[in-house]
Amino acid sequence: MTRKLSFSGAINEALHQEMERDETVFILGEDVAKMGGDFGITKGIWEKWPNRAYDTALSEQAILGLCNGAAVCGLKPVAELMFADFVGVCYDQLINNAAKLCYMYDGQASAQIVVRAVTGGGIRCAYHHSQCIEPWLMNIPGLVIVAPSNAYEAKGLLVGSIRNQNPVVFLEHKLLYNTKSEVPEELYDIELYKAKVVKEGSDITIVAAMTMMAFAEKAAKELEKEGISVEIINPLTIFPLDKETIVDSVAKTGRLVVVQEGPKVMGYAAELGAMVVEDIFEYLKAPLKRVTSLDVPVPFAPVQEDYVLPHYDDVIKACHEVMAF
Amino acid sequence: MALTKDRLWKVYRDMVLIRRFEEEVEKYAQNGTIPGFIHLSIGQEAAQAGVVEALKYTDYKFPDHRGHGAIVLSSPQERRKNCMSEIFAKESGINHGRGGSMHVNDLEARNMGFNGIQGSTVVTCLGTAFDSYYRKANKMEGWEADDKDLDVTAVFMGDGTLGEGTCHESLNMAATWNLPIIYCLINNHYAISTHYTESHPQQQLSTWGKGYEVPSFTVDGNDIEAVIEITEQAAERARKGEGPTLIEFMTYRWQGHFSGDPAAYRPDGELEAWQAKCPLLQTKKKLMEVHGYSEEELDALHAEVEEEIQGYVKFSLESPSPKAEDAMKFVYMDREVEGR
Repeated sequence: MTRKLSFSGAINEALHQEMERDETVFILGEDVAKMGGDFGITKGIWEKWPNRAYDTALSEQAILGLCNGAAVCGLKPVAELMFADFVGVCYDQLINNAAKLCYMYDGQASAQIVVRAVTGGGIRCAYHHSQCIEPWLMNIPGLVIVAPSNAYEAKGLLVGSIRNQNPVVFLEHKLLYNTKSEVPEELYDIELYKAKVVKEGSDITIVAAMTMMAFAEKAAKELEKEGISVEIINPLTIFPLDKETIVDSVAKTGRLVVVQEGPKVMGYAAELGAMVVEDIFEYLKAPLKRVTSLDVPVPFAPVQEDYVLPHYDDVIKACHEVMAF
Repeated sequence: MALTKDRLWKVYRDMVLIRRFEEEVEKYAQNGTIPGFIHLSIGQEAAQAGVVEALKYTDYKFPDHRGHGAIVLSSPQERRKNCMSEIFAKESGINHGRGGSMHVNDLEARNMGFNGIQGSTVVTCLGTAFDSYYRKANKMEGWEADDKDLDVTAVFMGDGTLGEGTCHESLNMAATWNLPIIYCLINNHYAISTHYTESHPQQQLSTWGKGYEVPSFTVDGNDIEAVIEITEQAAERARKGEGPTLIEFMTYRWQGHFSGDPAAYRPDGELEAWQAKCPLLQTKKKLMEVHGYSEEELDALHAEVEEEIQGYVKFSLESPSPKAEDAMKFVYMDREVEGR
């Protein structure tokens, strides 16, 4: 049975159902237990399992360190980073510890942890609560970065992430929390490392994730009216990327537009561009176009934030440019 | 607390093993056989041997970067040679040459290895301590009994480590939740070249634990009996769920920070003063004067250790290197990474 459920409700349901199924899963973080999370994502868990939900001090290094050690012992921690930007204060635990434990332990143990990180801009909270952090972590073999764009994906991917044996940074875009989609009531998981072909098309491949998916879908509809057929791909796992699905699509369409919320320089769009140039240069009919934020910190004033974040019109413009090339 | 005659004999042997292990490692690091850099623990044998002696095989041990002693003593006899060949970057190494000196781990013996970043294991150790705490609180399989002891976690850290913010976060969390941790602060006086009193306001770093209401002690880290006594007390408290302990072991590293560092930053005479307090010499004296062991008996012990160490060295030298392409293994548990 499916019904409409919000993105936040889907994550909450995934946690409840997976914790019901697996007693080694627990949650910890700042305000995640009694309060149910700053964004209300972990509501009801502490009431149900008071010994499996832990409010911590403001100590992201300790939170992540505890996760890493507990995971090696066979527990499955799900930590919340109230804002993904806080990765900065526990970066070492993610990149030098979580990402390397499997390597260090010769595959005998690993950091099977999930770090739920609230990401992205658009809520007028300036540069320390609005960043897209995925490129900070994409140069670190051993990590996995997952980024759902709707409630259905959020539930299935979170379950898939908890069951994944590697450290997973699970990005929850705060602007998606109140969006709704059809979500099955029962527990299910979506396989990691697989990109989703959201819509098939033949002229342009648009790759987009999280909130940028809405831009891609709207643009596809608008361009359809002009006779331009757009294929949309959602990586879902941003790192490691599902190279095959993306490269196959661009080989078919010959044109790639990446819509990425974070700044342009060294964003994941850059890696996608390098990937197609390296692998299927002869299939390309036009240069890569990247629609991204400007290369500045995310500002506070609404007029400025709107100026800096990616513009929908730029997606249309980029698509027109690759068609006209 | 004085140890029994047999136990003191046993831990003296452990310390001699560390000393000879380190001397051989130094020799092969200096002649270029061992790649990379190594940190030697000569002079600090009692703190390592004493802490491991006070723990159970099933307790979690996080050695520090100067931890060859704790590493080799944590593993059972049959795997000790593999600890040395790991440092030699060999396939027979306990981690197949993947980590080397700084990362030698033996999960079966619950030696969890060191993370090359100072202070990192000081928060990772929260997790191994949390494991039995969690299992007991949730009455998971095997943990139903109210009186079941928790598994203790001992984390080694240096005086320099204490400058890392993780130490604050870890002590605070462990103290708040009464996690079963022993913070083994090996105060060897120097963080590379910086004396601890130049980077901390305290004269004794153990006072630092009191702010967290963590029982904190300073002991002579070269007195193996004192080390074992205080660590056993801390382990007992931890097992019973009474929380963490911070122990500062005052000791001294005889070498520089890494093998080859001339340690010119130390005042004249300081090394010699500490060498006079050698933990091995002190114990040997006690074995002979208090327990009546003869010079011949001690010579026999030394010869036995020597044979063992030479066995490790031979094994390490003769073992082949790992396959280059095995570098691609175990980046992820469930997926391959493309090689060359």
